[in-house]
Amino acid sequence: MAGNKVKVHRSAMAKREERWAWLFIAPPFIGFMLFMAYPIVFALIASTSKWTGINSLWGNIVGLQNYAKIFADAKFWKSMATTIIYMIGIPIGMILGMLIAMGLKRGIPGKRLLTTMYYVPVVSSLVAVSILWAWVFNYDYGLLNGIYKFLTGAHGPNWLGDEHMVKISLIIFMVWKGLGGTVILYLAGLQNIPRDYYEAAMIDGANGFDKFMNITLPLLSPVTFYVLITSLIGGFQVFVEVQVMTPSGGPNYSSATVVYYLYEKAFTNGQLGYGSAVAVILAIIIFIITAINFWGQDRWVKTID
Amino acid sequence: MKKRALSVILAGVMSLSLLAGCATTTVEDAGEATPDTQTADTAAAETTSESSTESLTGEGDQTIHVFLYMQEHEKTIYQQLIDEFVEEHKDQVKEVVFEVTTQEEYNQKMIANMTAGDMPDVFYVGPAAVRSYVDNGYVLPLDSYVDDATIKSIWGTTQSIYRYDGKNIGSGSLYAFPKDLSCFAFAYNQDLFDEAGLEYPDPENPYTYDEFVEVCKALTKDKDGDGEVDQWGVACADQWGMTPILYSNGVKFLNDDMTKVNVANNPQLTEALTFYTDLTKNGLTPSVEQDTALGGYQRWLDGQVAFYACGTWDVAAFMDDATFPYKWNLCGWPVGPSGDGKSHTWMGSVGYCVSATTEYPDLCAELVAKLSTDADGQRAVSGISTGASIQLPNIVDLAYGEFKDAVNSGKVPYASNVDVIFGYFDGNDHYEAALQETDYTYNSEWFTPFWSGVFNIKNGDISVEDYLKQVEPEMQAALDEAIELQNSATK
Repeated sequence: MAGNKVKVHRSAMAKREERWAWLFIAPPFIGFMLFMAYPIVFALIASTSKWTGINSLWGNIVGLQNYAKIFADAKFWKSMATTIIYMIGIPIGMILGMLIAMGLKRGIPGKRLLTTMYYVPVVSSLVAVSILWAWVFNYDYGLLNGIYKFLTGAHGPNWLGDEHMVKISLIIFMVWKGLGGTVILYLAGLQNIPRDYYEAAMIDGANGFDKFMNITLPLLSPVTFYVLITSLIGGFQVFVEVQVMTPSGGPNYSSATVVYYLYEKAFTNGQLGYGSAVAVILAIIIFIITAINFWGQDRWVKTID
Repeated sequence: MKKRALSVILAGVMSLSLLAGCATTTVEDAGEATPDTQTADTAAAETTSESSTESLTGEGDQTIHVFLYMQEHEKTIYQQLIDEFVEEHKDQVKEVVFEVTTQEEYNQKMIANMTAGDMPDVFYVGPAAVRSYVDNGYVLPLDSYVDDATIKSIWGTTQSIYRYDGKNIGSGSLYAFPKDLSCFAFAYNQDLFDEAGLEYPDPENPYTYDEFVEVCKALTKDKDGDGEVDQWGVACADQWGMTPILYSNGVKFLNDDMTKVNVANNPQLTEALTFYTDLTKNGLTPSVEQDTALGGYQRWLDGQVAFYACGTWDVAAFMDDATFPYKWNLCGWPVGPSGDGKSHTWMGSVGYCVSATTEYPDLCAELVAKLSTDADGQRAVSGISTGASIQLPNIVDLAYGEFKDAVNSGKVPYASNVDVIFGYFDGNDHYEAALQETDYTYNSEWFTPFWSGVFNIKNGDISVEDYLKQVEPEMQAALDEAIELQNSATK
């Protein structure tokens, strides 16, 4: 009886605690349902419709028609190819970021100032710096061609107006924009590598290159992994700089990314159903690539323990 | 194993968050034919940066919600009109909520309103959107609420573009009253003509293609003698400034019922596009590369080009010495040999409509008529009473009468050849204008491949004939899609 009484007592308290627990969980849960789960389900349904925003969504369900059209759409494939080409910037940014971080780690004078300078682009408004760089790249009045003309006397390339050059220009911009973030992450990673590893290696007679290959690089791999994943996801979502620097998607649509294409379809041409289908495809691609990355990480990502 | 499962979940959340991000923003072009791209820089500076809501109260029991976008200085004028309206109807009106926002935000909010089924009582509709708004039951026909004389007082174009009979635009019930009517006229820099010792263009007799080329040749020169041309005859933005030249040679991109693209075997288009692209090939416009460095609008403001497009919305900026320190005037676009002999351009408009779900259709219709056609209101927006012209009067008699007098007397700063614009609005022996064909199709996606690739011809990478053959299938596919979407709007 006594045991029972205790049990009832605990249960009442547990119930009260559970109610409180639910209350604590509620805000993020409701937030997730409202702002994530609902839009995701909505986008999935919209992707099977000819919804325009004005007409009724439910009255215009067409099944997988949008998906079939997308796979036959040359502009989709062109923008997908461009998106992937832009990713050339990811390894470049990682290598540069690591080199700069290692340089800064040596405690060179003005380290704080340099770190801040590298980080400024990361915290600057993307639209603002895109407008700025559109001027840097300007064919007649740009900073780059000004320097080029000063040095060589000839007119520099048409950075944003040439079909091939525009891709290089945007890669340069993206590397510049992302570098600061990568540097900070690698700097933190370097700080976490215990000194005694290097000391032990030195006693064993390892040279600088050996130390880098066998200690620094492997122990930075979690950072490299993180940077790679976030850059890949970000790489698939590139939009603002393209929209600002090359309105209308560049000469012959040569700078347009998948998200630019999605935006144009959904919001310029009022094909919200079709745009949703592009978003779903993009999400699936990102899911697969991220999953592969996580699966493959055991092979190369090393942690200190 | 556990780690792998976690990996998959993490990957899933990351990619799904992208999907959610994409789905939560919803913008839709309400379909206004307001051509504002070219002057985006100046317009952006003038538009209200934040939305504002004013409410005006009377003693009655009817509350109406007006939701529009406009510029700050326009808002002041319309605010006064609404004040007057409340005063005139104070026994009926309890409150008029006057909400003004930016054009960008407007479209988003309207889609949200539609999705939520919570529409304002009075809002905008563009000619392009009339059809889908009516088909989906969002707007009310106004003819029975407004007297015939009021309807007849406005420009013929604005009487017809907001009519829809369930099948075609231009006939049937009237669904909106114009906020404004605008057109894309042509302008020349008088100072450059004086320097070259040339006679000004005749506003009553636009140039032919051939005459235009000769004038442009005389106006293209190397002013500073460094071996590079730094003043050109003309500059045209392919998206907006090319079509008037093509239209003036009788070009139509679509067949009459707007179901088929007609560009590959279109002799008038071939001829006109050859003329247009030759202007650049022959160096009478800045080159494609120069154009990417600095657009025609900036070059015009800088006095580098003799001719440039002038939308009615540009006039105020061009009259302002700080923006454009040159003497200038209006003229007609050059006329091609294979058209009807008239100079053509395109027009734009946005109109006030009344929600089909409003509780007070009579009051709303009266308000709409006042905003659009109140004589004092039109005197204010056109500058007759204020000295600053935001738009041309909607009332025809006012335009030809008081407005022209005010222009001639210098009370309203405006190009003296304003008859060019009235000619386009009204149509006469030398001038004619219509809405763009893209205003009649669900979206303008079919036209994008056309204008966005024209630079390849200018660069000499493709011939006009090959270009037209190449671009037609892509245009047709987009048009088919637009027709399908248009039909999907009809329940």
